[in-house]
Amino acid sequence: MKGINKLVIALTAVCLGTALILGGIYAFTRDTIEKQKREKKIRSLKSVLPPTDNEIDKDYIEIDGGKDRRGNPVKVILYHGKKEGQLVGTAFSIIAHDGYSGDIEIMMGVAPDKTITGIEIISQKETPGLGDKILKEKWRSEFKGKSLESKTDKGIPFLDVKKDGGGIDQFSGATITPRAVVKAVREGLKIYERASSKS
Amino acid sequence: MSELVLLFMSTLVVNNYVLTKILGLCPFIGVTKKVENSVGMGMATMFVITVASLMAWFIDLYVLSPLHITYLRTVIFILIIAALVQLSEMIMEKTTPALYQSLGIYLPLITTNCAVLAVPLLIMNKGFDFWETLVYAIGAPAGFYLALMIISTIRENLAFAKIPRVFQGAAISLITTGILALAFMGFSGLIRE
Amino acid sequence: MAEINKMAAEIADVQPGIQVPGFSLEKYKYLWSDFMNGLWSENPVLKLVLGLCSTLAITTSTQNGLGMGCAGLFVLTGSNGLISALRKVIPGKVRIPAFIVIIAGFVTLTDLTMAAYTPVLYESLGIFIPLIVANCIILARAEAFAARNPVDRSIMDGLGMGLGYLLTLTVLGTIREIFGNGTVWGASIFGENYIPMIVFILPAGSFILLGLLTGFFNQFTGSKKMTSTEVGCH
Repeated sequence: MKGINKLVIALTAVCLGTALILGGIYAFTRDTIEKQKREKKIRSLKSVLPPTDNEIDKDYIEIDGGKDRRGNPVKVILYHGKKEGQLVGTAFSIIAHDGYSGDIEIMMGVAPDKTITGIEIISQKETPGLGDKILKEKWRSEFKGKSLESKTDKGIPFLDVKKDGGGIDQFSGATITPRAVVKAVREGLKIYERASSKS
Repeated sequence: MSELVLLFMSTLVVNNYVLTKILGLCPFIGVTKKVENSVGMGMATMFVITVASLMAWFIDLYVLSPLHITYLRTVIFILIIAALVQLSEMIMEKTTPALYQSLGIYLPLITTNCAVLAVPLLIMNKGFDFWETLVYAIGAPAGFYLALMIISTIRENLAFAKIPRVFQGAAISLITTGILALAFMGFSGLIRE
Repeated sequence: MAEINKMAAEIADVQPGIQVPGFSLEKYKYLWSDFMNGLWSENPVLKLVLGLCSTLAITTSTQNGLGMGCAGLFVLTGSNGLISALRKVIPGKVRIPAFIVIIAGFVTLTDLTMAAYTPVLYESLGIFIPLIVANCIILARAEAFAARNPVDRSIMDGLGMGLGYLLTLTVLGTIREIFGNGTVWGASIFGENYIPMIVFILPAGSFILLGLLTGFFNQFTGSKKMTSTEVGCH
């Protein structure tokens, strides 16, 4: 019996020691981790907007963004970017569900005149070298300045991949990914329009 | 229901733990020289992953999250796995010696199989509910088992092939696995995760 | 490498008379060979074929390989040292669970530190940081070396094995980045028109590349005994 006691004591001591030390380290790093997360959020919000000077991550409204696949309501958070008190753009994140291998999270910025100020891919699991070309700056910049009303030379809505008649490039060997992104961006613009017509 | 079936197929082939997620490679290379070893290892791993993941899910929901100590997840989960492995070894030895004879030697190796720790961790990251957890915790090791069976069948045949001396063993197995992984890429895009 | 080992051995053999208290060449010879053992002759990845998951999954770029290698080096050296220091206190029967808790502690420490100070790297390594716990190299070294040897030798063994791991990961990461992405440390080297060989950054390519490297390493080190065939994680 004494032998077993010794085992239990030794193991408990090791576990408790580990837990205590980790607790200390957690307390020490928690603030930095929170700060990093906040900075990352601000960076991604700012990257899709023209220059702003307000505390963008604290200036937001929540709106109803329809339902996800499981039927749960989705909230979309619209962050307002302001310069000298004037609204210069709204940034929000949307999720494209029909990517090639999973959800694609996109951050997009919309100017008050309903044109896109920029898009950024936050997370994606597309095939490396094919679908993940959506990460390229050159491709993402094709969205800038476009809106739901924008037309190509032939008078077809611009926000579609070229294969479907629109003006956005697809990549050889990967149409599904850009198509999913374009579709999600169109949805995002519609959500923005609904929100701005209400307020 | 159909969601769950899709999730199962997705973890089984599309996101196969070994061939597309690159997890659980040590036993995959280490014990697959013979098919019968793979069966033993696969069965033992399936049992541990499924039970450990469900336990981890409950402990996370009722202990770690309410106490806000989710940063201890890694420590707690690996303890659950180690304890479960030790326990099942003891119980198996006492109650079913025949099963222990065939599976017992694989049990100690399971603690250092990263797929076993990855399943509960990924379940937490994905925020699965109970049924999804159950399906995922069965589908993932089933995919591992599938990969083990395929590679061990190939390796039994490789034993008769003329392979340069330096490539014998792990090297040729890795190259074979690479070709298998290419084949499994054909499944990608079939079911979205 | 073998020459350096030999030199160290010779020095120790030729001058056995020099014995400053607390300093013996004999001891340094041991430490050196412990270190070189992990780095070269028993390279954990290429020779022992351990710790493959992290090796293959995250080495899509030099940066990732280096980052993961550093994390592994830290955990391996730290846990080897601590386990060796506690080896007489921990009873044999609860040895394995106690080792695992200590390793998991070091891993969580690394995880939190990386989340706080290297967020970009932390994100790209993802779940493979907590999975260092289940990396066979670490438990294998704890069990095979640290549990039986004094602290200084265990730390040297940890450093050697860790550096061997780090170097292999960096080399793999660099090769995969050059061919799979056409870049070195993010900078394009083949110009705009280079069409990357995507297979190198896919899982399939990593298996094939490591298979080839293992083969070449066997040829290079000229071992007669194929240790790699009989290793799992024991």
